Amino acid sequence: MSSQVGQQIRGAGKKPILSYHNVMKRFGNFTALNGVSLDIYSGEVVCFIGPSGSGKSTMLRGTNALDPFDEGQVFLDGSPLPTSENEARHLRRRMGMVFQNFELFPHRTALENVMIGPVTVLGTSKDQAAKAALKLLDKVGLADKTQNYPANLSGGQQQRVAIARALAMEPELLLFDEPTSALDPETIGEVLNVMKTLADEGRTMIVVTHEMNFAKRVADWVVVFERGQVVEQGPPEQIFDDPHTERTRNFLSHLGWHG
Amino acid sequence: MKLEWSVVWQYRWLLAEGVLVTIGLTIVTMAIAVPGGIILALMRLSKNRFLSGFSLCFVELFRNIPLILVVYWAFYVMPIFVGIELSAFATGITALALNVSAYNAETFRAGINSIRQGQVQAGLALGMSRFQVLREIVLPQAFRRIMPILASTWVSLFKDTSLVSVIAVGDLAHNALMVRSQTFRVLEMLTAMALIYWALGYPQAKLADWIRKKFEVKE
Repeated sequence: MSSQVGQQIRGAGKKPILSYHNVMKRFGNFTALNGVSLDIYSGEVVCFIGPSGSGKSTMLRGTNALDPFDEGQVFLDGSPLPTSENEARHLRRRMGMVFQNFELFPHRTALENVMIGPVTVLGTSKDQAAKAALKLLDKVGLADKTQNYPANLSGGQQQRVAIARALAMEPELLLFDEPTSALDPETIGEVLNVMKTLADEGRTMIVVTHEMNFAKRVADWVVVFERGQVVEQGPPEQIFDDPHTERTRNFLSHLGWHG
Repeated sequence: MKLEWSVVWQYRWLLAEGVLVTIGLTIVTMAIAVPGGIILALMRLSKNRFLSGFSLCFVELFRNIPLILVVYWAFYVMPIFVGIELSAFATGITALALNVSAYNAETFRAGINSIRQGQVQAGLALGMSRFQVLREIVLPQAFRRIMPILASTWVSLFKDTSLVSVIAVGDLAHNALMVRSQTFRVLEMLTAMALIYWALGYPQAKLADWIRKKFEVKE
C-alpha cells in the first residue's frame, strides 16, 4: 500500500480539522520548515517524528501561533489561521499545549495551575473551576496532590498536571511538544499512559515525540520530518514495519529501531 | 565633659513626632515608588521607542544624581521651573519617590526579565492576553524573586528619608538636629538619634530577611 492510498482511506469522506499548505518558517538564515503540506483529521492521534531540528516542534508552535509561520496557509476547520495577536488568543483557547519542560506556574498549586485557564480566560467561577480541576487531576491520577506546588512534584507528576491544565480549557485539539523528553525514564510511562487514555477517548492529538513505541502503539498516523520537510507519512504499520523511503529507514535505524 | 541625657527625655514628644513623620515618609514613598517602578519597568520593556526611551532617561537621571540634590531641586527649582508648589512633606516625598522609583524600575525590570519565556508561552497557550500573562504569571513570580531587593531598598529608604531634613520636613533627623542646635547637646542628641534609627531599622531588616524566606519560590 502506498502512502497516497493510505491517505485516501484515512481521509475518506471527512474534512481535515487542520490542513497545512506549503508552510514555511525561517529563523534568520536557518530554514526550519521548508514547504510542509499535511492534513490532520478529527479524532486522530498524529505523531511527528524525526531527528532533532527537523521542524517538528516548529510545526506545533506555528499551529497555535506562538511562533507564526512565515509563509503558506493553515486551515482550522476550513477557515484560515488568524494572523493578529487578538485572534490568535481565540485560536489558542481551542488548542491545548503541553510543553517539554512542563512550564507549570511555580507560584500556584497543582489545583490552581489547572484552574487558572478557565478562571482567567473564560471567566469561570472559582468554585466551578476548582470542581472541574479536581476531576481532571483525578483523571491524571493526582487527586492526592492537588495542594502541592510544582516544586514538590516529580517530573512525571508535573507533566500530568500540565496535561490536566491543558484539558481544563476543553480544547478541540491537543498539542504535545516532546512531553516525555525532559523526564526521568521511570516516570515516562505514567505520562504516556495518561496520553494513551486521552487517545482512547478519541481526542485529536498531535504529538511530537521520540518515543517510537508510543508512536507505533497509539498513533493513527505518523509523519516523519527531516530538514523542515515531510519525508514520509502513513499509518504506523507502514512507517515502522515497512518504511517506503530510505530516509525514514535511516532515521529509524539510527534510533536502533528494528521493527 | 558633662553629659546631660535628660535633654532627650525632655524633647521626647518632638522626637516621637519626628519618628512618625519618618515612618510616614517611608510608607508613602514606597506606596508611590512600587507602582511607579512597575510602570517604568513596563515602559522600558515595551516595544514603543518613545516609552522605553523616556523610561531609560528617567531611570538613568534619577539613579545617578545624589538624592540630596534631588531634594534641593524639588524644593528650590520645581516651584519656579515646573510651577508646582508643595508642602515640605510633599516636596520630600516627591524627591524620594523620584529616586526610589528609578531604583525600583531597575529591580522590576530585572525581575520580569528573569522569568523564563516558557512561562509566558504557557500562559499565552492557554489563551491569555499579554496583560493577563503579566498580571497572573510574570509579575507574581517576579515579585517573589525581587522581594529581598525591595525589602533592602525599603531599609535603605527608611534611613535615607533623613536627607529631607535639609528642607525642614519635621522628620526624626530634622527634629533631633533642631533640638541639638537649640540646646547645644550635640553628643546626646546625635547618639539618641542613632539609637532610635537603629532600634527602628534593625527589626525592619530582620523582617526583610523573614519576608525573603517566606516568599522564596523553588523551581
